[in-house]
Amino acid sequence: MKEFHLDIPVEPPKELESLFLPIPREYVEDTYRKDEFLVLVGPQHPGSGHMRLIVRVKGDIIQEVIPDPGYVHRCVEKIAENRLYIQNIPLVERPSIMDSANFNLGYVRAIEAAMDIEVPERAKFIRTILAELCRIGTHLYDAAILAVFIGHTTGFMYPFGIRELICESLVRMTGARFTSSFIVPGGVRRDVDEKTLRWVYDATFAIEKRLKSFERIFIKNPTVIARLRDVGVLSKEEAIKFGVVGPFLRASGVEYDTRVVEPYEAYEELTWDIVTADEGDGYARFMVRVNEVSQSLSIIRQCITSMPDGSYISEQIGEVRGNFFDKFADIVLPAGEYTTLTEAARGTLLFTIVSDGESNVPYRMRIVSPGWLYLRGFMEALKGERLADLQAIYGSFGYFPPEADR
Amino acid sequence: MEEFTKFVRGGILGPIKKWGTKWSLWPVHLVTACCGAELAHAFACGYDGERIGALNYGIARQTNLIIVEGAITRKMARVLRITWEQMPDPKFVIVMGACGLNGGIFWNGYNLVKPSEVVPVEFFIPGCPPTPEALLRGIRQLQIKLDKGVAENSVSFSEVKAEKGKKPRILPRGVKKVSLAPCIVIAREKEVEWELGKNLCEKLKVLGRAVITARNRIALKVDPDKLRSSAMKLRDLGFDHVKSVNVVDAPNEGKFIVEYWISSYSVKELMPVLINLHSEISRREPKISSLSDIFPSADYLEREMQDLFGVEFVGNPWKGRFLLAPDAPEAPLRKDFKLQEEVYVGD
Repeated sequence: MKEFHLDIPVEPPKELESLFLPIPREYVEDTYRKDEFLVLVGPQHPGSGHMRLIVRVKGDIIQEVIPDPGYVHRCVEKIAENRLYIQNIPLVERPSIMDSANFNLGYVRAIEAAMDIEVPERAKFIRTILAELCRIGTHLYDAAILAVFIGHTTGFMYPFGIRELICESLVRMTGARFTSSFIVPGGVRRDVDEKTLRWVYDATFAIEKRLKSFERIFIKNPTVIARLRDVGVLSKEEAIKFGVVGPFLRASGVEYDTRVVEPYEAYEELTWDIVTADEGDGYARFMVRVNEVSQSLSIIRQCITSMPDGSYISEQIGEVRGNFFDKFADIVLPAGEYTTLTEAARGTLLFTIVSDGESNVPYRMRIVSPGWLYLRGFMEALKGERLADLQAIYGSFGYFPPEADR
Repeated sequence: MEEFTKFVRGGILGPIKKWGTKWSLWPVHLVTACCGAELAHAFACGYDGERIGALNYGIARQTNLIIVEGAITRKMARVLRITWEQMPDPKFVIVMGACGLNGGIFWNGYNLVKPSEVVPVEFFIPGCPPTPEALLRGIRQLQIKLDKGVAENSVSFSEVKAEKGKKPRILPRGVKKVSLAPCIVIAREKEVEWELGKNLCEKLKVLGRAVITARNRIALKVDPDKLRSSAMKLRDLGFDHVKSVNVVDAPNEGKFIVEYWISSYSVKELMPVLINLHSEISRREPKISSLSDIFPSADYLEREMQDLFGVEFVGNPWKGRFLLAPDAPEAPLRKDFKLQEEVYVGD
């Protein structure tokens, strides 16, 4: 279509000055001079957690997106420098509350790597079950939020109905619906008995059955496919260049999964596949996570059927019940820097602990959460799309600001 | 107008309006932090909050209840106030979670605000996170308040008398020991059997000091002016993205250690390798050249470090605050910025 240029002086609206835009004034003026608009999406929006997107549109085609994160920045890194190592376990879970076991695991593994603690087999299997339960829970949560974003309320209700089973499993195993703080250096807090494991095993089949009806209602729904397919495409080269992680990287055709690349816990002993897709669009990103849920269910079943006997905590630590604080309050890591990679539900999670070898608090703790890593890729995926597709792309990335901002 | 409001509230229509408000409490969609996950459960099919007349709604103009879910940061406090001002009368605020009460687990953070200082709060729901039952109970309590006109506690605890002379079996030894003159060693060499790592170290020796710190971890120390050329060399070797940018503050040595954790997606055998490319800069003039044009994935991570440490990445186009609010303290992660200390009861 031919464009006609009208030379009318346009001034940016006065309201923009009171909105605390983190961008220079010249950028705003330049936008309006070029017959484009700034659309502010958020911070109060119908998704989960809050962030602002400053979207520059021409017509309704997105030219550039500038993120304005930090609405949920709760200074976890600074607070961690002021607490004992063991007190930080509940703290590191809070950024991504539905994915607590994976965050917990990443932090605890960094301590174990520093202190050379061997974790017994049984504890490894219990940890794997917890991590996979949280992974399923997070994928279902993101599917529900995606449904809210594209205006599908039934699609919101179904995953949350299934999530109740996940929460119930976590309650039975650990005692808490979300933030269990169950994984401690050397193992887990308590043993999990046979009856509970049996319940979780049966629950995986119930989840699978309900997922079938969710598939009919939402996953294979033509309206959902129409909203997500060929939207927000990230090619393989782009995904690598912008450092996208986790299921979103695998949706662009890169076979990278920390559980395979650098195996931890029981993942080496189990059989499962890396789920990948080649399209790199919104639907591929959604489908990779849907298929990962069934892989996770199979991992949980394998863990329960082949659960080894033995202790739930390492001999180097000893019995923790009743003298928990006595065992863990005085942990001092040897001087040095320890980094672990964990595959959290939304992607690679990096924990770095720097210790000075004398204090019983971390000298510096760095968390790089998956949300923060794929934010750049998410912004690039929005370019060139229509404004109406922004919600669909946001949902397809499952972006969770509390996790990204930490 | 005032007369009309008075009539609607207190006239013959008053009880009807009260009844209507009671059964149509619409909370605005303001998921401020992690308690939002439990809020979603409360309004999903497991607990179904809609049966007591409350359902989340997207637009503030048509709602009359804010449920503050957990921590309110400095940036979010402004949004909370704006949203509250947009809502029509009558409006109520329920605060969920320990963070909203008094900070909870984040009580001494530099970026937190108490919601009760921003908006008038009707009810607090303690818990971290509170269960959906507790949230629904809070909404129920607000309905009872609308009926009776006074706010009441939903639980009361019987008084427990303190016994004198009785001590717990083991006193918690929660004493923090913080070293006064910490010595920071980033690259501590460790003997591991790792053939690929040894080969890589040989190749990287020309750039700077390269040591294996653990399996799959290599620390490579370079001079600040050689950082860019080293990064380009690493890119040629097949490393293609940055996983983390980190700054370690060492005030008694007068330096910042800037680290880039670099890894590869495209070369299969390099996938597990993490290279810690680090270099030391003076604390007085914290400037280092940016790698965001070589590795675009480092861009946002550098901006974050610029905010938190006040280290300037020369070449990164972004200026000003990215993650922090305009009124947040300068460079809060430096060691000379102190948080309020906890007091241990056991001491």
